[in-house]
Amino acid sequence: MTPPAANPPIWAERLLRRSVRDPEWRESITGDLREEFAAMAARLGVAAAGRWYWQQTLPLVVRFLAGRIVPAATPARHRLSIAEVEQQSALGAGWLREVRHAWRSLWQRPALSATIVGTLALALAANAVIYNLADAMYLRPFRFKDVDRLVLVVADIVGSKPYIDNVSVAPADFRDWTRSATTVTDLRAVEWWDPNLSGVDIPEQVPGFKVSPGFFELLGAQPLIGRTFAAEDGQPEAHRRAVLAHAFWERQFAADPGIVGRTIRLDGEPFEVIGVMPPRFAVPFGAQVWSPIAYDEKTWAERERGYLMVMGRLAPGQTVATAHDEFTALAKRQAREFPVTNRERPASVVSFTRGLSDEAVGAFVAIWQAAAGLLLFVACANIANLMLARGTEREPEFAVRLALGASRGRLILQLFIEGLCLATMGVTIGTGLTAVAMQYSKSALPAGVIRYVTGYEFIGVDARVVAAMALLAVVATVIFSLLPAIHSSRAATATSSLAAARATTGPARRQWVRSFLAGAQVALTLTLAVASTLIVGAVERATNGVLGFDKRGVMTAELTLPERPYESHERRRQFTAAVLERLQALPGATDVGAIHTLPYSGSSTSRPFSPEGAPADAPRRDVGLQRVSEHYFTTMRIPLVAGRPLNAGDRPDLPPVALVSQALAERYWPGLDPLGRRFRLSNDGAWITVVGVTADVMHDWLTGRREPTVYRPMAQDPTLSIAFVARTSGSPEALARGMRAAVTAVDPDQPLLALRTMDDVVVEKLAGVDYFAKLLMVMSGVALLLALTGIYSLMAYVTARRTREIGVRVALGATSAQVTRLAASRATRIVAGGVLTGGALAAGLSTVMQTALFGMVVPNPVVISASVVVLTAVTMAAGYLPARKAARQDPWVALRSE
Amino acid sequence: MKPTPYVGEFEYSVLLAVLHMDGGDDAYAVPIRALLEERTGRPVARGALYTALERLEGKGCLRSRMGDPTAERGGKARRYFSVTPLGVRALKAMHASLSNLSRGLEAVLEES
Repeated sequence: MTPPAANPPIWAERLLRRSVRDPEWRESITGDLREEFAAMAARLGVAAAGRWYWQQTLPLVVRFLAGRIVPAATPARHRLSIAEVEQQSALGAGWLREVRHAWRSLWQRPALSATIVGTLALALAANAVIYNLADAMYLRPFRFKDVDRLVLVVADIVGSKPYIDNVSVAPADFRDWTRSATTVTDLRAVEWWDPNLSGVDIPEQVPGFKVSPGFFELLGAQPLIGRTFAAEDGQPEAHRRAVLAHAFWERQFAADPGIVGRTIRLDGEPFEVIGVMPPRFAVPFGAQVWSPIAYDEKTWAERERGYLMVMGRLAPGQTVATAHDEFTALAKRQAREFPVTNRERPASVVSFTRGLSDEAVGAFVAIWQAAAGLLLFVACANIANLMLARGTEREPEFAVRLALGASRGRLILQLFIEGLCLATMGVTIGTGLTAVAMQYSKSALPAGVIRYVTGYEFIGVDARVVAAMALLAVVATVIFSLLPAIHSSRAATATSSLAAARATTGPARRQWVRSFLAGAQVALTLTLAVASTLIVGAVERATNGVLGFDKRGVMTAELTLPERPYESHERRRQFTAAVLERLQALPGATDVGAIHTLPYSGSSTSRPFSPEGAPADAPRRDVGLQRVSEHYFTTMRIPLVAGRPLNAGDRPDLPPVALVSQALAERYWPGLDPLGRRFRLSNDGAWITVVGVTADVMHDWLTGRREPTVYRPMAQDPTLSIAFVARTSGSPEALARGMRAAVTAVDPDQPLLALRTMDDVVVEKLAGVDYFAKLLMVMSGVALLLALTGIYSLMAYVTARRTREIGVRVALGATSAQVTRLAASRATRIVAGGVLTGGALAAGLSTVMQTALFGMVVPNPVVISASVVVLTAVTMAAGYLPARKAARQDPWVALRSE
Repeated sequence: MKPTPYVGEFEYSVLLAVLHMDGGDDAYAVPIRALLEERTGRPVARGALYTALERLEGKGCLRSRMGDPTAERGGKARRYFSVTPLGVRALKAMHASLSNLSRGLEAVLEES
């Protein structure tokens, strides 16, 4: 008797026993291995034999599980019986086998499966991209602690204009509020600053803000190094302290850890650096440097002009609405106490996020989101249609399997797994597409607008968004894949459903559903196409339409003079005149001029306008105010409509004069001669005489071209921000070097903010909208593609199912044209229904868009009808092709197809 | 009379090996595999051998019986195989067809 041998690895043996179903085989196979294991153990030792045992069992297990060795649980003659397989419990047979089965079944129709997966991936990616962008730019552009408790107080009526005037509060009003407001605590003021940095290699203008002490604490921001502003930094003359943004610190100071305590020069004055903020803190509007608001008593008493942004925190228990009510009441009280300045001044409270976001972004994001939703609907309709078609096609298969004893649950499980496989592939590809598209979307944002894209730093792929999308995809696909299974398993007897499935095109009800889905795709695609064409048209009009000035052949140079050295108007006048003189001397420059802010530059100034003779208590409306040099209009080719141009005689020591735009003249002096009339731009200001009228200019695409505007001679009202313009008959870029040299020659410390052609100014201003429009265009292209696929595959499927019927008709003498007509009639009905619905939807949507986009988009019947015609043509073609193919085939082939 | 089943190349080898052991105590998987490897000079996958044995039994070329459990096998029984008359006929048919095919090629096939 041999001593009992060492045992082989217990888990390996258990695995093996599990995988062999037949008891006799199980015993002999494990016995064989035990025998050889004993021999191996005697020769090589137990450990090596154990490894050997694993090496032997794993391939065996895989083989048995994969079913390549028939488990022989039943006698050989039964082994191939499908009925036997069908009757086995589905779950007991193992998920692996089901997945393999589903995979094979999907592979049988590779084109169909690929279409479904592709549709799913595209729709998911489009939605994820839009949602990610919307989330970063509009929904959650600020991610401070408790950001939903932060508010902005503005001296503006929210909703009265396309934007919220968030820089509008006068210092004295702010000071009143800090003393009396109870619903909002920690009120902090912010003033736009943008100082010039000098004393470094490359002087630059830095986006900056003056802020009340406590500003950083309000936003919950801690400095990375050093400190932020304390109360004593808010004392007059204590203002020369600066906190730097992380990016600015890295760029200009090489991330010098010893920066705190050093002195930098801003606007020509020394500022002590006291702290550096952590990365990604750039509030508001891409701020790179902050200094404290340290007004003297005179500045604090300013009630006339509002130039502060005011933010604060809701007191516990208060809401935006209650705070709004309190500030409205405060504004009314101020209006009574200070009627001269505050009579027309409202106050509103909005959430921090809304107040600092561009309202236009919200409108565009909403349109994007709606478009992405439509796209998702189109995709779902497409997937539903394809799945239903596939299900109908497989009804005979299900009928046979039911007849052979497969349970209803078994079929449903299999379709469920097939749906899951499709959804998994769709989600995988869709996630990849999303990542690529997000990267592209971020880099496609033009550099010029990044500062104004709130939340730019948060643009990226959000895992939660992807997860939500994945869930949506799985649910949608699985539902649509289960419908046919539930239907076929409900069919009373296998034979009848077999016959029905073979007959023609499936039950009439489901045909109706499919036609409806295809029609819905046409309708939604048409809606999207019209919307995107309208927006693209609007962008085109704003870029190349009637601007009121000639943007070609003009070079511009924008700069901002520092406040202290240029405090005196005389110095500003001298600077401007000297630069203009040098520009005029440049070879190639035909006309040169200067203006305070360029049209389309995004910034503008407005003032309340009171014409002479109007009653003192008449409401005053804001008009645009521009300061221009005498040759600005000839340089920009803006025609003079009446009166005289500005000239060298408009000196500061003479009574103030102005040109007004045609729109202003028509608003205040309709039907009268505006020349010689006088007006005021503030209650205590001087009377200004109108000497001429100019044509209207589009200063801002958002407000349109007929914004009433006053043009004052720069000599009488010199500004710190100046944009020089020079026209040339040659290429405008050739003037760039000369313009830079001219500015440097007059003041070597003066950095140029920007040097660009007027063409670029327009394009850059519209870059954001253009970006929106292009993305929308891509989405409607995708939708069109999906709808075409949907209609084509539906028609191809329907005609294929009717092959026999068509064969009979042709055999009985129907002509090819008759058959084509018959087959295409269904496509015609689908397209007609879709186009009618879509046309109505599109007409409604364009009206909504006109309101949402402040009249920028004009509903255009030509665009709508053109979209209808194009869409009808392509969808009809998609429906006609399969019909023609059916009509051309040999009737005998058709009849034999059964 | 049942038609002679067709056996593939590997099944043919397995049948021959079982015939070598016929009736003896060595007519189970372990020695069969050892013999196959020794005579053909090629490794034989365990799974492939079980598949072939099982399939040959299905075709009626082999029959099997379970032996007595032994201690060295951990109390597991051996499955002994023997070639059935049908198996012998299949072998003969295969052998004849191969011989027919190779007739006249002796010069090529038998040169060393």
